[in-house]
Amino acid sequence: MTDQVPVTVLTGYLGAGKTTLLNRILTENHGKKYAVVINEFGELGVDNDLVVDADEEVFEMNNGCICCTVRGDLIRIVAGLMKRREKFDGIIVETTGLADPAPVAQTFFADEDVKRAAKLDSIVTVVDAKNLAARLADSREAEEQIAFADLILLNKMDLVNAEEAAEVERRIRAINPWAEIIRSTKSDAPVTSVIGRDSFNLEKILEREPDFLSGEDNHSHDTEVLSVSFKVENPIDPERFNAWITQLLAAKGQDLLRTKGILAYANDDRRFAFQAVHMLADGDYIRKWRDDEPRHSRIVFIGRDLNRPQLRRGFEACQVGAPSSNYEAELARWSPPS
Amino acid sequence: MSETAEHDFLFASRGDGRELGAYVVAVDFCRASGAAGFGLGDGSVHIGPAFTAHQAHKGAVLSLCADVTSGFLTGGDDGKLAHTGTESTVLADYGSRWVEHVAAHPEGVRAASVGRALHLLDGAGKPLKSLAHPSTVAGIAIDAKAKRVAASHYNGASLWFVGAKEDKPRLLEWKGSHAAIAFSPDGTHVVTAMQEMSLHGWRLADGQHMRMSGYPAKTHFLSFTAKGRWLATSGAESVVLWPFFGGGPMGKAPSELAGGDDVMCTAVVCHPQHEVVAAGFGDGLVLIAEIASGKVVPVAPPGKGGISALRWNANGSMLAFGTDKGFCGTVDLAKR
Repeated sequence: MTDQVPVTVLTGYLGAGKTTLLNRILTENHGKKYAVVINEFGELGVDNDLVVDADEEVFEMNNGCICCTVRGDLIRIVAGLMKRREKFDGIIVETTGLADPAPVAQTFFADEDVKRAAKLDSIVTVVDAKNLAARLADSREAEEQIAFADLILLNKMDLVNAEEAAEVERRIRAINPWAEIIRSTKSDAPVTSVIGRDSFNLEKILEREPDFLSGEDNHSHDTEVLSVSFKVENPIDPERFNAWITQLLAAKGQDLLRTKGILAYANDDRRFAFQAVHMLADGDYIRKWRDDEPRHSRIVFIGRDLNRPQLRRGFEACQVGAPSSNYEAELARWSPPS
Repeated sequence: MSETAEHDFLFASRGDGRELGAYVVAVDFCRASGAAGFGLGDGSVHIGPAFTAHQAHKGAVLSLCADVTSGFLTGGDDGKLAHTGTESTVLADYGSRWVEHVAAHPEGVRAASVGRALHLLDGAGKPLKSLAHPSTVAGIAIDAKAKRVAASHYNGASLWFVGAKEDKPRLLEWKGSHAAIAFSPDGTHVVTAMQEMSLHGWRLADGQHMRMSGYPAKTHFLSFTAKGRWLATSGAESVVLWPFFGGGPMGKAPSELAGGDDVMCTAVVCHPQHEVVAAGFGDGLVLIAEIASGKVVPVAPPGKGGISALRWNANGSMLAFGTDKGFCGTVDLAKR
């Protein structure tokens, strides 16, 4: 699956600087070619046959889950673009300012043909440093776009002073401590530092220990979305983990925006990378553990209404050697009443 | 099949092929000359027997079919509907929108889908009507007599009368995302392939629903046998055939042909006269199989890319195929 096309999802509130960034991606000489899926034709002042006009058609999956939505137009567009695969290095999907990024991300987990052809590389959110606080106050979407991000382009830095900049970063960190933040003015960060970063390279993300993690919830009480992370030292039993996470995502998927993990499975010398958007999950072995690194497993949840002790006990019970009575109880917690 | 020697494939003795370097989107046969025409991901149309190249589109060819009387009709991601015969000409330009699906009928009907619109044109290229749908059209089919055209979309399919004075579709509803679409040869059934890896059918007389599920992958090819007794489908590790007789397909299990190699069947098309099906697989294997006996004849060996296009000519004496790696081939199956 090495020839899957990497996909970057570009989100951000209206006026944050997405269009400026897209224009730079299309016109600057940075050595890569990107197919760009936009939602309003003509917004880019560029004549480029790799710019694709999309309709943002959000379809429910036929699996009875109301949060499982996909972008029907993207399924067709990815199939169409694959017919000239050799013409570009990656795909960038722009979402409208108010859009929930979940249907876009979920398309890359839910559709068989899309999964085979493409892989989600990163979710990049462009944020207006001056107006973020106001956006967070009046819209749930602004908060979700930050929660979903792997990388945040903190733009319009010329409009804020050092104090305001620190405060806006604090607000971002409170929602999503794992996203990488790049500061910019007029979206002037180097294109290669924003696109094609392999941000879903979870190792990098999860090895980043958030500065203020102190065993407390990363919950600043000025935001609804919070994040929790856990580390365990004994190997994970893959069957236990699969059953537990499947039940957990099924029961709690609507509140869980992003779930990411690096797992050390018992009797396996490879690292397993796991990620989910709401209740749709995907996972794969990434590489062998190095001899010099501890084989610890980490998991991160970003979402609403997260019960830290319940999630921790569940993850801990997936370790080899954890009492099976504990595990059964944790599994039952998320199982539908029979 | 994997142990079949190279010389046992009909392609070795009766085939002709070229590496053309771009994804083969579709193939069909010209109604006048009988030559095969291949539409490629680099915007070119190659017409046999010499595989003569024409640059029909600027981006990729997204769909191709035999045009009304001769040559080929193509839709491109450059927003154009084109005809390619001795040369390529633009029939219509829809701007920035992709022309995703095309269909044509010898009675003088051309259909092209662009976003939510289905445009109908006559044989001279004159626009007849533009039909609107609730979401993007994901597949189109014209019935055998060119009386009706069907378009698949989210939550069902719309059935339109080509000659109607007032355009009001019959909506065939079923929740979910519908793509590939086919009429049965007698026009009594419509079947679609769904995003959720199953098929849905409607018996038009009474609106009876038919659900056909169990596929491990999405079905992209739906093809009825000549008299409509069987519906052959891709999307499994064998050719899956649903019986449309004896009360089926409701409550009947499908037949499977040419399985056992653990390779996905990516293309199927039924012979225009006999109960014989041609199938292409993800490894490049092409074969033909007789439905009654299950007897399989190897046509082209694996190795040149997954089969992405497959078509019989009008009398069933020639089979053409193309792969996602850009190989185009024809095989002469006429009696010698």
